[in-house]
This record gives sequence, C-alpha cells and structure tokens, in this order.
Amino acid sequence: MRWLDVGQIDDMGRMNSPIHHLDARAKLIVTLAFIVVVMSFDRYAISALTPFFLFLAVLIAAARLPMAPLLRKLLLAAPFAVLVGAFNPFFDHQPVLQIGGWTISGGWISFTNILLRFVLTVGAALVLLATTGMYRLCAALEQLGVPPIFVTQLLFLYRYLFVISDEGAQMVRSVRMRSGVRGLSFREYGGLVGHLLMRSLDRAERVHQAMLTRGFDGNIRRLDSRRFGLSDALFLIFCLSVFIVARSWNLAEHLGRLLN
Amino acid sequence: MHMADALISPTMGGTLWAASAGLIAYCARKVRASAAEHLTPLMGVLGAFIFASQMINVAIPGTGSSGHLSGGLILAILLGPYAAFLVIASVLVVQALFFADGGLLALGCNIFNMGFFAAFVAYPLIYRPLARDEYNTPRAWGASLLAAIVALQLGAFGVVLETTMSGITDLAFSSFALLMQPIHLGIGLVEGLATAAVVAFVGNARPEVLSVRLAPTRSRSLRPVYIGLIAVTVLIGGVASWFASTRPDGLEWSLEKITGETELAAPAEGAHDRLAAIQERSAIMPDYDFKSAPAEGEESPNWPAVGAGTSVSGIVGGAMTMGIAILIGLAVRMGARSRERTVG
Amino acid sequence: MSTPAIEVKNLRYAYPDGTQALRDVSFAIQQGEAVGLVGANGAGKSTLLLHLTGSLRPAQGEIWIMGEQLLPKTKKAVRSRVGLVFQDPDDQLFMPTVEEDVAFGPLHGGCSSEEVERRVAVALEKVGMTRQRARPPYRLSAGEKRAVAIATVLSMSPDALLMDEPSTHLDPRSRRRLIEWLRSYSKARVIATHDLELVVEVCSRVIVLSDGEIVADGPTQTVLNDEPLMLAHGLERPHILLHHHPHDH
Repeated sequence: MRWLDVGQIDDMGRMNSPIHHLDARAKLIVTLAFIVVVMSFDRYAISALTPFFLFLAVLIAAARLPMAPLLRKLLLAAPFAVLVGAFNPFFDHQPVLQIGGWTISGGWISFTNILLRFVLTVGAALVLLATTGMYRLCAALEQLGVPPIFVTQLLFLYRYLFVISDEGAQMVRSVRMRSGVRGLSFREYGGLVGHLLMRSLDRAERVHQAMLTRGFDGNIRRLDSRRFGLSDALFLIFCLSVFIVARSWNLAEHLGRLLN
Repeated sequence: MHMADALISPTMGGTLWAASAGLIAYCARKVRASAAEHLTPLMGVLGAFIFASQMINVAIPGTGSSGHLSGGLILAILLGPYAAFLVIASVLVVQALFFADGGLLALGCNIFNMGFFAAFVAYPLIYRPLARDEYNTPRAWGASLLAAIVALQLGAFGVVLETTMSGITDLAFSSFALLMQPIHLGIGLVEGLATAAVVAFVGNARPEVLSVRLAPTRSRSLRPVYIGLIAVTVLIGGVASWFASTRPDGLEWSLEKITGETELAAPAEGAHDRLAAIQERSAIMPDYDFKSAPAEGEESPNWPAVGAGTSVSGIVGGAMTMGIAILIGLAVRMGARSRERTVG
Repeated sequence: MSTPAIEVKNLRYAYPDGTQALRDVSFAIQQGEAVGLVGANGAGKSTLLLHLTGSLRPAQGEIWIMGEQLLPKTKKAVRSRVGLVFQDPDDQLFMPTVEEDVAFGPLHGGCSSEEVERRVAVALEKVGMTRQRARPPYRLSAGEKRAVAIATVLSMSPDALLMDEPSTHLDPRSRRRLIEWLRSYSKARVIATHDLELVVEVCSRVIVLSDGEIVADGPTQTVLNDEPLMLAHGLERPHILLHHHPHDH
C-alpha cells in the first residue's frame, strides 16, 4: 500500500549518517541545483549524464540508505515518462551513431536520455526526502522564505494523511463486505466520500479546538532549529562545484579517452 | 496528468515555478489577511482527505473502468480559491516527494496546470455563477460538470504546451494534443460528476459546510491573479518559446553569456562531420512534419555539436561511470544486509 | 478551605439548533480532588469540558478557575490553567514530532526557549515518554499516544486536568498504566468517561449528568452503588463494586 511506503521513506529521514546530519536547506538547494543541471543537458546527452549517477550513488552510500525501497519507488513512478519518451524512436529516425553494423537513430538516443533524466531527477528527490524527512524539509522551506501558512498546512496535510487514510480504508473495507467488489455508482460514491469528508471536517474542527486550548492565536511558533554551519556551507559549495564541472566537461568521455 | 521532470526544460520548469511560487505567496497573503485562523488545520485535513478519497473508486458507467477525485474543484467549493490553491499545491508537493508523481522541477508546472485553472478559472468564472448556492439540483450538477471539464481541458492543454515547448519529446504539438485532450474530456466528466455527488451529499446532510469558504466577493478582487496569468503567458510565449526553438537552451545560453563560448563541452572529434555525412546519405525527412515543436523556421533538426554518446570515448567512459555507480549500490546493499543482521 | 480549582455556577448552554445541552449546572472541584463525570451518550459531558477550557461560551452562568473568572478577556490566561486531554489523541497530536507537540503549549504561552526545553523534558519524564521524544505521532502505539497527549497538557503545568474518555482504545496493560498514573497525579482531575471501573479506582467523587442536568454528586461508592439511579440514567453498577462488596446483595 502506498501509505506504508510514505512512512518508510520518512523513517529513513531519521536515520543517522553524516548526510542526514547536514542542514536541510543545504540539501534542498543542492537537490534543486542537481535537477536543474541534469535537465539542462542536451536531449541527446547520455555519457555526460553518467557522472551524476556517480554523485547519487555516493550520496546514497554515505547516507547508508537501503537501495530496494528507493528502486521500487522509481519503478512505480516510471510509466508517464516512459510512455511519452517512447514516442521518440518512432518520430526521429535520424541515424546518429553506428556501432559495428548497427545504426542507432536519434530517437533511441533521446529516449535513453529521457530515461536517464527520469532516474536522476526522481532519484535525487527521493534521496533528499530519505536523508531529511518531511518535517525537517518543511522547516527548511519556511527558513528559505516559503509563507508560514503554506508550510503549516502542508505539515497538517502530512500529519493527517495517515489518520484520514485509515478512516477511508476502513470505510472501503466495510463497503466491500456489504456489496462485494462491484464499483460504486455516483450516488453511492457521493455518500461514501461525502461521509469521509464530513468526518474530516469534524476532525479539523477538533484539531482547531485542541490548538486553541493550548494557546494557538493564529501564528504557529516552533522550536528553534539548528543553525547553518560550516560543514553545511562546505557541502553546498562542494556539490555545486561538482555540478559545474560535470556540466562543463563530459567527464565520462574524458575517462573513456584516458582508457583508450 | 502530472508532468514529469524528465520531459521539461529548465527554462519551462523555472518559469512556471516562478508563476506558482508567486501565486502561493499571493494566496498565503490573502488567507492570512482573512484572519480565519481555523483555516490552517482545515486546509491540511482537507488535503489529507483528498489523498484518502483517492482510495475510493467510482464506476464509470458503460466502460467497466473506474475513476476518483483529483480534487481541485471540490477544494475550491469548500475553501474558496485562495486556500484551495494552497491545498492543491501541497497535495502536489507530497505527491512529487513521496510518490515521485511529477518531480521537483515539474512541480511548478503541475501546480499551475492543476491548481490555477481549477481555483481561479473553473470555480470563480464557471461554477460559482452557475451553481450559486445550490447543490443537488440539475443546475449544480451541470455547473460542476462544466467547471471540471473546463479545468481539466485547460490543464491538459497546459501540459501539452509546456511539454512540446520544452522540446525534449519528439511528440509533435498536434499529436500530443490529440492524445491528451480527449482523455481529459473523460477525466473531466468523471471529476465533475464525482464532485457534484459529494457536494450533493454533504449539502443535504450539513448545508452550513458549503457556506464557510473564503471567497472573493467580487470578481474584481481576482484581477491581480488574471494580470499575473497574462504576464506568465507572455513570458512563456515570448521568452520560453525562443529558448525552446534555438538549440542552446536556457542554461547554455546563460553559460554563453558568462564564458563567451557555447560549446564548452564540444569534443571536437570530427563527429560533427561524420554526422553530416550520414545525414546526407540518408535523407529521411518525411517525419519532419510530425516533430514540429513550436519552432517555426527551423530548417533541419540541429544536431547537437555536443555529441554526447557519439564518440567511442563517451560510451566507454559512460559505461565505466555507471559501473562504478552500480558497484557502490551493491556495496551499500550488502552493507545494509549485514547491519540488519547485527541489529536483528 | 482553599480556593476551589474549578467552580461552576448555574451554567446553561444550548446548541445553535436550540437543543438544551446544559441546564443550570453548578459544582465545585477542590484542588487535588479527582472527580468522575459520568452519564449516557449525549448527556453533556464533552460540552461541559469544552466550557471549562473556554472553547464554548456559556449562555448563562459563571466559571471560575483557581479563583479567577473565565471571561472572553481572561480566556487566554485561564486556558493555560486547565488542560483538556481529548478523546482521540490524533486530534491533540497535530505537530510533526512528540517533542514539538509537547512544546506547543509552553511556546504559545510565551515561555523562553530554556523554559520550554525544561518543561518538555519534565512532562515527557512524568509520562515515561522520554525515549519517544523525536518520533512522529503516527509511529506511536495507542497507549503511547495517550501518554504523549497527556504530556502536551502537563507541559503547560495546569492546575486542573480534564480528560475526555481517557481509556478508549487502550489495551489492558496501557489502561492499567494510565490508572496508576492518574492515581499518582496530585492536581485536580475531572475524568469524563463510560469506564466506571476506572472511576472507582481513581476518583473519590462522582458527578452524574443526564440530559444536561446534574442528577447526582457524591462519593464514588455511594453514587455508583445506587442501582436504580444508575439504570435510570443509562448507566450500570460497575462490576468491580459487585466484586468488592459481595455482601451488598
């Protein structure tokens, strides 16, 4: 079930490693830069993208993250990019490369490129979450200037995701027991989802009461979070320099030439 | 209809990030100014509700398949456009982070495509004027249907426009549009009916719920939003399409400005010449009509001088790097296993 | 006698739809006293608790907390002196981590960060949840959630603790721990519950609400052993009393 996975990735965010200890802001900026740099490559770039896999692999290793759940997430998310990218070989027959007797068309190259981009960008986002956790990520957003009200309700959303999904799952189960697996008509659907909605509204009201009884006055105050330290700054500068180098020179090709 | 990172250019992603960020800031100010402090928990809980509701499927008559709420319209009905936009954005943030639906770069596009049209077009311009305060009347069902269809058509059109203008897929604008628009007509239909059904039920059981939203009283108060929309359109239409049509994309273009030369990474292996030769030999151009991207006046596909993957060195080096990455991955897995053993 | 922790005088309240929820309710709870608030569903228990925290405004009557009247302008100050533990801990644990939840009250009450830190540590220690400090609420068991919910209130050092159905969803061991904890707590306690066995073990006094009215107010043994009274108001004599006093029959 999807919800369990959510908890799993977030739990990884509470592991102990040098990467986990870095400031969430530094990791967020590095991740965004990583994605932008990867996306800025030409649509036929393949070898030039490979050093970025190396970067991700090093991060995952240093953070001691388990690979299997991350890979599972990647596969689950793949269909859309694969689907749209798969059109390229049909439309673009320009031969661009010959290896032995094989001629490879531009469409296949750009399709491969789309797949690589997909794995890199989605992988980077997952690693960010798995080394930071939702809660610290939200704190970082607020420190970087995202409106507090947005961050607060995002945290509430995340907090009640589990609670309300449980309620929804219970309702689905009880409906299945009564009516089998037959699909719901729009009226029945309206009743079931409407019921869930009313329970959610009641929940929101009670949460608001609970906040008021503990002194809430419209502004949420939070515990002081840690400062941006020297190691965070070094991490940030190091990663950004690596990106600039890898963007400017095709490192893989240089390595290949060295070996030839 | 989440767009994926892998299919958009940084320029496109960046532009819509800016647009969505601006809208979030604007909506956050509006919600704050309303001093309705009960809204914060309500927004969060309703966002969670949208996720939970997606576990429940409604049968689509005559098709044998089923659908669920995507939620934009019902959020706007319950919360009004400002708060609804923020909630839609958060739902997408969580989807991007946890389910890798879309991605971080495409997040701006997704928030815009799914949030803006539902909260600031379909709801205030179609649903409100048509449905007024009615629910469970033919009028309200019709309003919901029309509003959802319009929201999803515009959203899907946004996806098509942004994807083809990014120039990463070879799917032509017209064929992609022909693929997306009819599908989203169906999705919009389901969304409209599902929304109306839920609103009808809640309206009958607890009518007061439907009148607590924070809505702009006059259409004038939405004016800044529409002005913003026009600005974004101009920005995308002008700047972005220019970026998309010329090969040096956004970042390269700015790199060029900085360094004074475009082809920082040009291998200069003579690959270019080789390519030109191949191109001459095999003049396979019939497909060209299909790959029309919005770039008029592009005479032939500009093969990148940065011929990544075209040289043997590239392949060998790339394979080596990937090999190292995979080795690190394996080492991590084994490390994790041995740790599990010691812990367990 | 010292100032009562809670004093309610002629409290009346009707729901917006006109239903009378509380009719002329009056009582006083002394400092350190533990009182059970019992009654059938819809008798007005939760409504009464929400009044005591200033969440609902009485139509008529007065509420005094530690000698200070609860009024719109004193609401914020008075609220910090009564802590309400909600029936569903998920309503009360709305922050991302246990620590942030326990810190919420003191932070919004204007404590300095050192003071907040100290109070969080003390409150978690009192309910035995120090080790759960950094966890998110959804990773807690039902018993742990209940304990943390209590800690979120204790960190505000209230003069009176109000609890709405504290033993629901608890397994026997967690319930036992809760009872032991409630017995050891020294401040005033008002426990609204259907768990009459818990009332027998924790409370020295019981108030019976029925249809928004107080129909009995007296020592636990006397009130709960009054079988006709219990049955008339949708309750029953707790088994624990039958067991402890077999010669009554």
